[in-house]
Amino acid sequence: MAGEALEIAARSLAISGTATLLSSAWSVVLAYLLARSPRASRLLVPFLEALVGIPTVLVGLLLYLLLSSQGPLGMLRLLYTPRAIVVGQAILITPLITSVAYRVLTHSWSMYGELALALGAAERQAARLVFSESLPGLAAAVVMGFSRAFGELGVALMVGGNIRGYTRVITTAIALEVSRGEFGLALSLGAMLVAILVLVSLTLRFLGRLREQ
Amino acid sequence: MSAAIELRGVWHMYPGSGRWALRDVSLEVAEGRILAVVGPNGSGKTTLLKIAGTLYRPTRGTLRLWGSDFWAVDGDERLRLRRLVVYVHEKPVLVRGTALHNVAYGLLLRGAPPEEALSRARRVLERMGAGELAGRERGQLSAGEAQLISILRAVAAEPRVLLLDEPTAHLDLEKRRRLASLIRELRGRGMGVVVATHDYLLARSIADEVVVVEEGRLKARGPPGEVLEV
Repeated sequence: MAGEALEIAARSLAISGTATLLSSAWSVVLAYLLARSPRASRLLVPFLEALVGIPTVLVGLLLYLLLSSQGPLGMLRLLYTPRAIVVGQAILITPLITSVAYRVLTHSWSMYGELALALGAAERQAARLVFSESLPGLAAAVVMGFSRAFGELGVALMVGGNIRGYTRVITTAIALEVSRGEFGLALSLGAMLVAILVLVSLTLRFLGRLREQ
Repeated sequence: MSAAIELRGVWHMYPGSGRWALRDVSLEVAEGRILAVVGPNGSGKTTLLKIAGTLYRPTRGTLRLWGSDFWAVDGDERLRLRRLVVYVHEKPVLVRGTALHNVAYGLLLRGAPPEEALSRARRVLERMGAGELAGRERGQLSAGEAQLISILRAVAAEPRVLLLDEPTAHLDLEKRRRLASLIRELRGRGMGVVVATHDYLLARSIADEVVVVEEGRLKARGPPGEVLEV
């Protein structure tokens, strides 16, 4: 069982890590564009912030309807694959990463972006400084996104299907063990999930301190 | 004496604020002169300087830099004009690195070779008697030292007009005296300097001309002896 637990943990890390990288790529760009466009941000940011707490099961349901064989994206044959979970988790955490990164970049632009422009920087140079000075805040946004992806159940269950050895991740494994009455095993898996989240967060903090030095 | 910076009929409202920060302001800034902008908190001094420094686009009105309508020219010309004016914020913002790197930063942004930029930065620091700060990281500087570094960073970039927003806010008496002397020296080298300040003593001692801003409007303008009557 220990071997299977490790395999599930590794799969969970790979799936949620990929989803986080994917989502971060577009979320940070979107956050920067919003930070540079007060008019667009006044319209979009409240909407994104409202979606931060969207139930994972609702995202799972919508994605299931899109990916099922009768759905508009059924021909992609993604349903019940790890890739479907990656896509679902990436969508799920986009509002969270975008809204946190937006706050970080807006604050950073008002300091470092204005400073660079005031000293005669081109927009591109100003953006580079803003991103460089925002890295700790952006890393925090990404860690939050990863935590939400890693700990969610609805998407993984609905579009992953909890297939043993293929799409089973820690949260779906916990749900399965609870349904079987194996509460001890479920708690052990839960402890492993929390330990991994703490480890990821501490590692990033450590890397951030190294960079400051 | 032609105007280096010219604001014509400038109005400005921050998005979502619902109130005018500046109302129908017209003002010229010349090279080789010191202009003090005085007024109470929230009167529009910072907005005026940020518009003159090209950081904010006015809601209405025009900003001309050396005769060119800044917001109407293309990107390359806009960058060239932007580099002639440097704005220094009241709250010092330093980038990651040492004080020396910070003073050189404006030159590095303008494409100066690193060795030349650092050498010029060191000279600027030493001329202000702040050479001992060169190796300190930003977290190791006091508020007054950080403010001095942010001012020297702008000076090292050698703009034709320098816009200083509350430059003495964190400085002790000795540093204020040295700053006043530096500002006079810059004027002597042909640089225009605009100082937004609450410090009437500083305004009176260095300015060639004073404008008073209240509730976003220019209320008075003239020599310090006339405008700043005690």
